[in-house]
Amino acid sequence: MFYRLAGVRHTSYAADRALWPVPVDRWQIRALLALAVGAPFLLPDLYLTSYLLPWLVWSTAALGLNLLMGWAGQIHLGYAAVMAIGAYGAIHAVRLGIPFELALLGSGLLSAAIGLVFGFAALRVKGLYLAISTLAMQYLVDWIISHVPAISGGSQATLQAPAFRFLGVPVAGDWSRYYVALAVCVLVTSFLLNVGRTSFGRALAAVREKDFAAAVIGVNAFYFKLMAFWCSSFLGGVSGAVLAFCYYRAVTPEQFNLDVSIQAVAMVIVGGMGSVIGSYLGAALVLLAPIVLNNLVGAFARAAALPLHQEVLSHIPLILYGVLIVGFLLFEPLGLAKVYANIRNYFLVWPFRHARH
Amino acid sequence: MKKVLATLTFLAAGLAAASPGAAQDKTIKVGTALDFTAVYTFLTAEYSQGQRDYIALLNARGGIKGHPVDIMVVDTGNQPQRGIEAYERFKSEGAVLVDFLSTPVSRAVVPRALNDGINVLTMFHGRSDAADGTVFPTIFPASPSYWAQATAIIKYIEEQEKGNLKDKKIALVLIDSPFGREPIPVFEELSKRLGYKFSAFPYPSPGNEQSATWTQVRRERPDWTIIWGAGGGQPVSVREAIRNGIPIDRLASVIWLSETDMNIVGASQTKGALRFEGVAYGKDVPLIAAIEKEVIAKGKGAGPAERVGSTYYNIGVATMAVFAEGARLALEKEGGPLTPAKLKRGLESIKDYTADGLLPPLTITSEDHQGGGRGRIAAWDGAKWVPKTDWIAAHQDIVWNLIRQESAKFKNSGN
Repeated sequence: MFYRLAGVRHTSYAADRALWPVPVDRWQIRALLALAVGAPFLLPDLYLTSYLLPWLVWSTAALGLNLLMGWAGQIHLGYAAVMAIGAYGAIHAVRLGIPFELALLGSGLLSAAIGLVFGFAALRVKGLYLAISTLAMQYLVDWIISHVPAISGGSQATLQAPAFRFLGVPVAGDWSRYYVALAVCVLVTSFLLNVGRTSFGRALAAVREKDFAAAVIGVNAFYFKLMAFWCSSFLGGVSGAVLAFCYYRAVTPEQFNLDVSIQAVAMVIVGGMGSVIGSYLGAALVLLAPIVLNNLVGAFARAAALPLHQEVLSHIPLILYGVLIVGFLLFEPLGLAKVYANIRNYFLVWPFRHARH
Repeated sequence: MKKVLATLTFLAAGLAAASPGAAQDKTIKVGTALDFTAVYTFLTAEYSQGQRDYIALLNARGGIKGHPVDIMVVDTGNQPQRGIEAYERFKSEGAVLVDFLSTPVSRAVVPRALNDGINVLTMFHGRSDAADGTVFPTIFPASPSYWAQATAIIKYIEEQEKGNLKDKKIALVLIDSPFGREPIPVFEELSKRLGYKFSAFPYPSPGNEQSATWTQVRRERPDWTIIWGAGGGQPVSVREAIRNGIPIDRLASVIWLSETDMNIVGASQTKGALRFEGVAYGKDVPLIAAIEKEVIAKGKGAGPAERVGSTYYNIGVATMAVFAEGARLALEKEGGPLTPAKLKRGLESIKDYTADGLLPPLTITSEDHQGGGRGRIAAWDGAKWVPKTDWIAAHQDIVWNLIRQESAKFKNSGN
């Protein structure tokens, strides 16, 4: 009923390869885009600056990591370090007078170059061993940033993001920062939506399933593993730069520590490996659920006048958050994206359930 | 996508429910977003309890010039993004002052607060260079910076050595983080001035394993040892010092050493250990006694009564006392309702304020947000901290050179 499949015919290759063959999906995308563009007019500033904006930036980052983990099947426990390289690179570049657009690309290239070095580990080791070697990247980058004053910005170890212009427009207010983040997010999303349709995406899938089987069918696993690290690190660097310029407006080493790497991995796993919408949902859960739970528990405690100490009250959201993550993964191990797909599949034939095969 | 929309609507509804309606106009709102669950847990509970008990005392006495104070408390888990959310929420609720008690979170909020003109109280944490009120107009450290703490400790050592530090060896054992490395320039500069031999021994963060570092310290045979860490690393430092034969009465610490740490190592074994103190300890202080009588005895305390008078409890009381004094001066001079700008001017007119003996005389001006940089050295006697000096400030020229140098860097970054 909602998803009218009648009249959806695959009469040409182009139609067959369309991203959203069902019209309703296209309308949903358009509506979401319209909502995203109109968000500054619709949402109070509080929700725009501290919910929607970080969500978009973290979704961008989760998409970059998902390319590596979901599409190419490599694990990365040092993604925050990749983002840190991008953030510091971009801030230093803009301070040197390089335009923001170039600095954004440059930060991506810098992260990609350094990320690639650690990607070489992936040529030799897999799984847990790769996790440990990427963990080394996290520690190395953390250590270098906080021990080199030229990078970290002296004894206070904080660098302010300088004022910048994007495509000639000065970016100063909350709204313009939001639109910059939105633009980058839309670009990265459309790249990942299309990855699956390219030979690059198919090669990554082949490498993910079995690298020497991929080699047998003529896919250069060596090349594509490195390409996956390169692309993912590039996206990580860009999202780190956007995070620094549009959200934090300053960088310190603590903003990119190991916890953040773990959070990024959690976003991908809870959201759904190899899924675009999963990256969004995962970012929402990992980033926003603690804040929302905290506020809800606080409001409930106030309204019910619970005689609880603040320490206890602060730990309840943590318990709920843990329950939420375990619950989602028990309920649907393939992540939030699969939950969404299940709902969509249900409505695809609703109310004619017998039509489902 | 439906799911997304549904989730969004749900979240929005939940959040709308979570924000309480605006109270009456006279209420002064203070926002504290603290770390109850991650890194700063060693002090947050006591600190926040002190803050809330002091506010309860204020309100029981009729508020500040008839204005009741509402203190909002929320957990950030030491995550900058949660701190930013809390900050934006406090802002939308009309808070005149915010406190984060977390260096990473307050650093992340500083650019926003400067932009919005909301006062941030960063007592004993945050950027040391924020003491420069010309560059950071709404950031108030209002307490001796880590640099000032270093100079006070050296001053005490100098007095103990009868003013002659020539060829004495002073070792700094520090956590290897920006916080730990922060005082090094001060110790180096003073070593040039006073002629002692300075060496620094970093141990890796978070500091629960320091044995390798202390072996090196023992080899150095320092005359005085200074430990610079916080939280779980501190009792480890003290224990390792004892184990390596460092004389305990020649061991001095940055402000973050409490009776809890001493009890972990052994209250009687640590007798004589020294620490920097920026706020008076114990229940003998008139202000703490008043809280005990008017708040705790009436069952209105915010937490366990045995925490009253502890090191971090008193620091919490001190933060709110400084705020209240600023607010009182602002309301006296300019009348209500209290705005962030009025409070800023009020805080900047605080002169020789001691909070009934809880604080060293504090004088804040529009240039000097440090407030004089005074503190004292206290020794552990096996049961409590006993002050060894008056409130002292020393070598403030070095401190201010560093403050100006770092704040100039901040200014040059185009903000």
